[in-house]
Amino acid sequence: MENSWRVVVLNDPVNLMSYVVMVFKKVLGFDETKARKHMLEVHELGRSVVWVGVRETAEAHVFALQQWHLTAVLESDEAR
Amino acid sequence: MKRVEVKLSLPVVAPLLDVIRELSSELNKSLAAPQALHDLDQDFRGAWINELLEGQNQDQRALLSLFDAQFFTEGVVAFDEVNAEPIVRACTAFRLQLRERRLKSLSDEALETGEIDMTGLEEPVRKAFMCYLFLATVQELIIQHLDSSIIGS
Repeated sequence: MENSWRVVVLNDPVNLMSYVVMVFKKVLGFDETKARKHMLEVHELGRSVVWVGVRETAEAHVFALQQWHLTAVLESDEAR
Repeated sequence: MKRVEVKLSLPVVAPLLDVIRELSSELNKSLAAPQALHDLDQDFRGAWINELLEGQNQDQRALLSLFDAQFFTEGVVAFDEVNAEPIVRACTAFRLQLRERRLKSLSDEALETGEIDMTGLEEPVRKAFMCYLFLATVQELIIQHLDSSIIGS
């Protein structure tokens, strides 16, 4: 069975909350409530897993988030 | 196509353009937000970074092109569905670079709240901080005042 990969967004002290919410909506298709929940998780806990699934799609999401200058990393379940 | 024009204060904003141009030059060959790409093989990582860098440079050009002849005569800049997203991204890249290179002396908390005594800052830091705030204002303007036809989901 194929590994599942996590897209993790890390906190940074620069990006506006409204900006992060907008990026989550745009890149990951989140609605306002879900986008705000993950934004607050990033802000308060330092990281949020915003997507889990196959590697190819996870890579595409990480790339898109990085295009918006969010700090996004790819993590494998194997690494746990 | 929706278009929003914003009138800026020329005496306030024009001096900040020198800072923005310097930032653009610094970011020509490096990413504003260096990324950990350990899980990618080396060739793929190189292509990945190059593509991010190309996008970053295109975004910066979009932001710099706001400050054209109309800006210098009337103080007006215009956002539309073509330039809104690149400009929002460019603002972030410049803000990240400002914090990394020019605002290290200020705490993250101070930068986040904006509660800083401007009179106590040395001129280069004061100008960099003004630029940091200006770019955040541009971002907020675009995010809050343009509808979903511009920032589509």
